[in-house]
Amino acid sequence: MPSAALVTPSLETFLESIEAVKASDADDVDYSIQHLVSLLKRRQIRNSRSCAIATAHLLSLVVSKHQVTDIARLIKRVQEVGQKLTDAQPKELAVGNIVRRVLGVIRDEAEEDREGEESIHDEAEGESPLSPKEVEVSSIEQQARSAPSLTSRPLQHGAISSEDLSTSNERLPNTKDDTSSQNRALNLSPPLFAAGTSQPLLKSMFSLLSHPVSSSSTPTVTPGTQTPEDPPSHSIHALVGGSAARDLRAEVVEAIEEIIEELNTADDQIAGYALDHVHSNEIILTYTASVTVQKFLLKAAAKRKFTVIHAESYPNEHESVHATVTGSLKGNSSGTGPDRFHRSLTTAGITVILIPDSAVFALMSRVNKVILGTHAVLANGSLVAAAGSRSIAKAASMHKTPVVVLSAVYKLSPIYPFSNDALIEYGDTSKMFSNEDADLIEKVEVDNPLYDYVPSELIDLYITNL
Amino acid sequence: MAPNAARSTKAKQKLQDESREESLQAIVLADVFETRFKPFTFERPRCLLPLANTPLIEYTLDFLASAGVRDVFICCGQHADQVEEYINNSRWKLSSSPFQTLLLLKSPATSVGDVMRDLDGRDLITRDFLLVSGDVVSNIALESILDKHRARREMDKNAIMTMVLREFGLEHRIKSKRRKPIFVIDPKTERCLHYEEIGPKSVSSRYVGMDAKLLKEHGELEIRGDLVDCFIDICTPDVLGLWSDNFDYRTLRRSFLHGVLKDHELNGKTIYAAIASDQYAARVRDLKAYDVVSRNILGRCTYPLCPDSNLVSGQNYRFQEGNIYKEDGLSIARTSIVKQKVVLGRRTSIKDRSLIVNSTIGRSCQIGSDVHVSGSYIWDNVQIGDGTKIHRAVVASGARIGKNCSICPGTLISFGVYLADGTNVSGVHHIKPMRGKYQENNAQDEASQIDETTDAALQLSSSDDDSTASSLLGTSPSRPNSQSLTELSMSQFSESDSDFEPLPETSRRSSLRSDLSWESAPNRDFLVEATADILDALQNGVSPENISLELVSLRMKEDASQHQVRHAVVTAFMRRVSNLMGEDGQSGLSPNEAVTEVFTKNKEVIKRTLFDQSREAKDDQVDLLMLIQKDAAGRSRGESLLVFIAKELYDLELVEEDGIMQWWEDDRSKSGEMKKVRVLTEPLIDFLQNAEEESDDESEEDGDE
Repeated sequence: MPSAALVTPSLETFLESIEAVKASDADDVDYSIQHLVSLLKRRQIRNSRSCAIATAHLLSLVVSKHQVTDIARLIKRVQEVGQKLTDAQPKELAVGNIVRRVLGVIRDEAEEDREGEESIHDEAEGESPLSPKEVEVSSIEQQARSAPSLTSRPLQHGAISSEDLSTSNERLPNTKDDTSSQNRALNLSPPLFAAGTSQPLLKSMFSLLSHPVSSSSTPTVTPGTQTPEDPPSHSIHALVGGSAARDLRAEVVEAIEEIIEELNTADDQIAGYALDHVHSNEIILTYTASVTVQKFLLKAAAKRKFTVIHAESYPNEHESVHATVTGSLKGNSSGTGPDRFHRSLTTAGITVILIPDSAVFALMSRVNKVILGTHAVLANGSLVAAAGSRSIAKAASMHKTPVVVLSAVYKLSPIYPFSNDALIEYGDTSKMFSNEDADLIEKVEVDNPLYDYVPSELIDLYITNL
Repeated sequence: MAPNAARSTKAKQKLQDESREESLQAIVLADVFETRFKPFTFERPRCLLPLANTPLIEYTLDFLASAGVRDVFICCGQHADQVEEYINNSRWKLSSSPFQTLLLLKSPATSVGDVMRDLDGRDLITRDFLLVSGDVVSNIALESILDKHRARREMDKNAIMTMVLREFGLEHRIKSKRRKPIFVIDPKTERCLHYEEIGPKSVSSRYVGMDAKLLKEHGELEIRGDLVDCFIDICTPDVLGLWSDNFDYRTLRRSFLHGVLKDHELNGKTIYAAIASDQYAARVRDLKAYDVVSRNILGRCTYPLCPDSNLVSGQNYRFQEGNIYKEDGLSIARTSIVKQKVVLGRRTSIKDRSLIVNSTIGRSCQIGSDVHVSGSYIWDNVQIGDGTKIHRAVVASGARIGKNCSICPGTLISFGVYLADGTNVSGVHHIKPMRGKYQENNAQDEASQIDETTDAALQLSSSDDDSTASSLLGTSPSRPNSQSLTELSMSQFSESDSDFEPLPETSRRSSLRSDLSWESAPNRDFLVEATADILDALQNGVSPENISLELVSLRMKEDASQHQVRHAVVTAFMRRVSNLMGEDGQSGLSPNEAVTEVFTKNKEVIKRTLFDQSREAKDDQVDLLMLIQKDAAGRSRGESLLVFIAKELYDLELVEEDGIMQWWEDDRSKSGEMKKVRVLTEPLIDFLQNAEEESDDESEEDGDE
C-alpha cells in the first residue's frame, strides 16, 4: 500500500512547480500565478526575500511564456500579474519592488527596439513632453553620474510612485509615443547611499539596472556609457517583427535572471562592507534573527573580535533567535534559497549575549552600534521592521548610539507611509498568551503586530548591496 | 508506435506512483448529521453558514490546501445541491485550484457511518487519508504529525489512525459544556487507549469506566479532559474497512472510536493521538463554538486565516487597529462608533449614532440610526430599523428587523424573517418563517406589509403567499397562540441555553426547562424511532442480528436505557403481531400462529435485551413481561395474546420459570386492567408451578439415590 506524504507548500515547492511549468509545453502560467497568490495569502511565502525570489521567478515565467510579440501587451501583462500579486499581499512590499524592476527592464529593452521606429514617430515624441517629475528624475540621475563616489544621500526612489504599476495602464494605448519618456523615469538607478561603495561594482550595477540606450547598432545588451542628456540616436536599425520581440523576451528573461542572482548574493555583498563598520572590541546590539545581519557580523568576526548583544524578539521570532544564537538553526526554514549560513557567531569566537527585549534600554549605554535588519525601507527612509525595532532605535537615539540598517536594494520601496494600518501586519495573537489563559482574549484586547514603523530620524546609516 | 505507447504509459504509471507517494487524500464531511445549528440548517447546510463573513467550508478547504493535500472528496448529506452549487462556483474548481481532484459525493446517508461505508464501497480511497469535518478551522501544520503517523505505520500495520487533538486550558470556552470527551492516553507512545464522553448533568455519567487491564499493561496513563477534539484524523484505508465491518457504527467518536478501542483485544487495531499545544484548531460544533471561533478569528488567533487575508476571491477586507476589518463600499456615519473586533462586509451602511461592538456584519446590510449591535452575528442583506438594540443574537441573511425592536441574548433569527416595529424578543427564541422556504424575490413584495400590521407581537411571515404569510404569532411564552413557536423552541431550549449563554436571569429560568428536556426529549425520540425501525425491519424480514445491531447503535446514539430498548421491542413486536392477525382479528393468522411467527424468528432480538439469566432476581424478564402485559391490555384479544406470548417466551427459553413466577407475583401485574388481561394465563402459571414442583421432586429423588 503506498504511503502518503504531505508536502507543505513553501517557496521550495513553488520554485519546483515553476521549473516544471517552464520545462513543459503547457501554458500553465495562470496556474502558477494563482499558486503564488494563494501562497502569499496563506503566508506560506513570507519575508521580503522569499517574496522577492518567488516574484522574480514567476515574472520570468510569465515573460518567457508570453505568446504575443507586442511589447505594450507584454508590459500590460506584467502589470496585471504584478497587480494581482500586490493585491494578494499588500504588506509584502518586496513583491511590488520586484515587479517595478522587471517592468523597468522590459521598458529598457523596448527602448532599444523602438529606436528604429522612433525616427518615424519623431514628431510624436514632441507631443508628450516630459512631466516635471520625470525631468526631476533625470536631473537626479545626472547628479548620480557626476558624483560616482556616492556618499549618503536621501532616498530618491520615491520619485517612481506606484503609479507605474497602476495608472500607466491607461497610458498604454499610446505607449509608442510615450514609453520612451517613461523609460527615462525608470532608468533611474536605485538609490545608492552606502558609504565606501567600490567603483567596479557600481558600474556593473548600472548596467544591470539601467540598460542604456546604446548608440551601438547591436540589439544585444551592452553596457555602455549613456548620460541622460544624450539624445536618443535615431539613425540605426529598425528592429520590427516577431524575431526581434522574441529576442527581446529572451533578453528580458536574462535580465530577470540577473535580478534573481542579485537577490541571492545581496546578503554577501552587504557583508562585504562589514569590516568598514564593525571594529575591534565594539559592543554591537542586534535584534531578530535576520540572515543579512548574521552574515554581516560573521564576516566581521573573521578578522575582528567584538561582542554581540542579541535581543530575543519575543514573541514572534524568539525561537529563531535562540536557534541562531545557539547555532542550531538549520539552513533556513522559510527557504531563502541557497543559504550557506550554518555557523553561529559563537563558533566564530564572538561573545554573544542573549537578552530579553526589555533590557535593551538598560544596556544601551554600553553599546557602540546598533545593527538592524529590516522588512522594507520606505520612500522617506523610514523602516518597516520587526516589531520592537522602534523602541530599540529610540533607545539608541537617546544614547546617541549609531543605528545602522542593513537593507538590500529589493527592500527599498517607493511607498510613502501615509497610514500605519496599510503597512503593518498583525500576526497570531495566540503567541501572546498560554493555553491556560486563552480566555483572556475575551476580556482583553490582544494585539500582536509583526512590524514596527521606524521613522528615518532614528536611523543613522543604511547599507545596501550596491 | 507500439513500444513508444507502452513506454509512455509506463512513464505515466511511474508518474502516478510518484504522485501517489506524495499526496494525501482528504475526506471532508460536509454534513456531520447533527442538528446543532437549527433553525439555520433548515435552509442552508452547516458548512455554508458564514463565519466571519466567509462560509465555513472555505476554512476547512484552506486548511487542507495549506497542508498540501491534493485530492479532496466532499461528502454531502443534507442540502447537497447547495453545497455542489457553491463548490462549482468557487475558486476550488478553477484550473488554478491547488486540488488535483475535488469530488462531491452525494449519498442518502443518515449518519457518518453510512457515509464511511458508502466511501468504502466506492474504492476511491487508496492510501492514507485525512478525515476532517466540514466545519474545521485550523492552521495546524500537519507535516510532523503525519511523519509520526507514517513511522508508526511502518512499524505496525495496525496503527490505523492518528487523531489531532488541541490542548486548551481546562475551562476554555471552546469546549462543549454538554459532553466532555475523555481521552485516556499513554503519553510514551501517544496511543489512545480509551475514549468516553461524560455528560455534565447526571452524576452517573461522571465516571469513566476503563478496562483494568489497561492499568496493568501501561506504566503511565494520562486521563485527559482538557483536549479539544477537532475532528482531524489521519486514517489508513483500513479505517473504512472497519466501518464496513461494524455497520452499527454511526458516529465518529462515540461509536467508532469507542468501539475500536474497546475491541482492541479482538482486532488489535491501535489509534494514536497527536496533541498540539500551539497553533489553532477548533470545530464549529455548535453555536457556542461558533461564537468563540468567530472571536478567535477576529482576534487573529487563527492567523493567517483572518478576514484581511482575503482568502476567498472577491473579498477585500482591510485591517484596522482594534481588530476591525472593513471591506470597501462601506458607508459609515461619522457619529457612529465601530469598535473591538468587528467585521463589516461590502456595501453595508451604518447610520448616525449607531454603535457596533464585537460583531460580525455581512454584506449589503442596512443599519439605521441609534442602533446598538453588540456580540451579534448579522449575516448578509439584513435591514435593521432605527433605534433597535441587538445583543448576542444571530440574524440570518435577508432578515428585516423593524424600528425600536429589542432582541435579547440567545435569539436566533432565521433566513428572511421580518420583525415588526417595536417587537421585543425576550428570552431565548428561535424565530423562523412559518413554512416554506425563504425566497429572496418574494421578500421584496412583502416588505410593505409589515408596517401596516404592526402589533406588539412578533410577525413571522413565510413568503409563499400573502394569505398564509402573515400569520401573527405572539412570542411571549404566556400567550396561548404561540404554540407552534414555543413547541419549536422547547426542544431547542436546552441547546441554545448551553450554547449561547444568555443573561444570568434568563439562564436560570430556562436551564430548569432544559434539564427537563434533557432527560425526556431524546428518550421519547428513541422510543418512537426505535419502534418504527424495528417494525420496519420485521415487515421487511430483516435478519434478527441486524435488527439488534441497529437497536444497539440507536441506543448508543440516544443514550437510552435497557428498559426503553425493551419497551421499543415489545411495542414493535406487538404491533407486528396484531398486524399479522389482521385488522379485525379474523382475517389474518390466529394469535398462536402470529406470535410464533414473530417471536420465534426474532428471538435473538429479545434475548439481547435480557441480561439476568444468571441472576436470582429476574428484573429484566419481569420488566419484559410487564411491558407485554401492559401492551396486551390495550389490544383486542389481549388475553389470548398474552398467554401465547408467555408460553412462547418460555418455550424459547427467553424467559425462565423464575422470571415468569416473579412477574406473576409482582404487585404491578395484579392491579386493575392488568389483572383482567392475565386471566387466561393462569393455567400456564399453574402448569409451571406444578412442573417446578415435579422437577424439584425429581431432583430430590436424584439426590436420594
